[in-house]
Amino acid sequence: MGANSDLAAVLESLHPAAGDTSLIGADPRLCAQALRVDGIAVSVTTDSGLGELLWSTEGTSTRLEDLQYELGQGPGHETALYCAPVLVPDLARVPTGRWPALLPEAAALGVGAVFCFPLSVGSACLGTLTLQQTAPGPLPDATVTDAWLLANALAALIVEGSPQQSAFAVATEGSDFYRAAVHQASGMISVQADISLAQALLRLRTHAFRHGRSLTEVAQDVVSRRLSFRDDEKGPDIPAGEGTEGP
Amino acid sequence: MTREEHLLAAMVEAVDTLVDNFDLIDFLHQLCDRCNKLLDVSAVGVLLADPGGKLQLIAASDEHTRLLELFALQIDQGPCVECRRSGTARLNISLDSPVATAGFPRFAQRARQAGFATTHALPMRLRQQVVGALNLFDTRAQHLSESDARVAQALADVATIAILQHRTIVHGNIERAQLQSALSSRIVIEQAKGILAERWHTHPDEAFDALRRHARAQQRALTAVCRELIDGTLDTSALQRS
Repeated sequence: MGANSDLAAVLESLHPAAGDTSLIGADPRLCAQALRVDGIAVSVTTDSGLGELLWSTEGTSTRLEDLQYELGQGPGHETALYCAPVLVPDLARVPTGRWPALLPEAAALGVGAVFCFPLSVGSACLGTLTLQQTAPGPLPDATVTDAWLLANALAALIVEGSPQQSAFAVATEGSDFYRAAVHQASGMISVQADISLAQALLRLRTHAFRHGRSLTEVAQDVVSRRLSFRDDEKGPDIPAGEGTEGP
Repeated sequence: MTREEHLLAAMVEAVDTLVDNFDLIDFLHQLCDRCNKLLDVSAVGVLLADPGGKLQLIAASDEHTRLLELFALQIDQGPCVECRRSGTARLNISLDSPVATAGFPRFAQRARQAGFATTHALPMRLRQQVVGALNLFDTRAQHLSESDARVAQALADVATIAILQHRTIVHGNIERAQLQSALSSRIVIEQAKGILAERWHTHPDEAFDALRRHARAQQRALTAVCRELIDGTLDTSALQRS
């Protein structure tokens, strides 16, 4: 009982109910509580190799996923690459060379431990489930078991498909996409700077990281035309690869 | 068939796995049978590590409940668990010897009850990656000769290649889970919104309306239209601004 019955409730509610436009029905906060961790996030891998964030507790976990997306490194990338769990009970003890850009950011964010599980079918990795704790320390065995249970249930959900997923695929109104602005901004930057979409996304990520801002914030600025990459590399004071503040 | 012919046949079968549409489980069952014949042991099983690292039986030379139980027991203890952890073979384990079975007393007891006297575990390994273990049982208290041990490891290697090859194929085939293709479509749509919005100096929502109207009018999938806009193959003059 206790944590397990809480988890059972989360598993039951994973499939979104009719009328709910979310791709994952359950409440991430309740899920984190059931697993007794400080935060939880689910990302799904895409062609770009980056994980699109689908579901997360607000604050630290969301920011940690964003950082890994911006920096292109971290436990999520390794989990997706090797389709194996990456359990880091103490981030402070990870050699700097493993994730040189991420580690200081994660420390500043107050993340002490990260546990990343693959959402796998056979040996293919579809995405990642990441648990995060402020206090360093290993996950209890029971929590590891619960996390695997949740990861497998999520993998099944991702493979199966749902009316919500079909609606999401064609951008039906109400089917919110966390990084919608990021991809819109990539499209805009690709025209502004006459570069490929992949390069545009990279430039956006670099800009966000250099200015210590979140990627979604910077993307919003591009979409709202507060920031343009049109004059990129022309201004004398602008380092290559960065945007300029628009009018 | 001679021993060499059996071994060769196993290798050839493994090479056949390089083509698509082969049945891994069927192949591993055949491999178990070959092990039985080539090594003159009583029972054989192939155990694979799942993503959680737990060993699961994937094929066995026979399906006697008592044998299957022995494989199932090796979730947390047993020669295969040790073999997977260390990546090295554990051969000629006398199931009567408390010293040899110190790491897995419960398993040893059950194996004795099932009528076995000796067991061997060989790693299924490619470089650093241990994907599972090959488990052999013998009702007689006899050791594998050195040449038998080499043959056993060769068969374990064959199984490893087949499994890794199969994973590559499966990986390719199911790379498109439903939600992943939904995400890919959605990303393409958002990118197209951005491109068109920038060209028209308008808001992405307005660009989206135009793309959607065009797809409907042409009775085409929205994602396909967006993809063409990105590729530059869409005639954008056909798009109507509202």
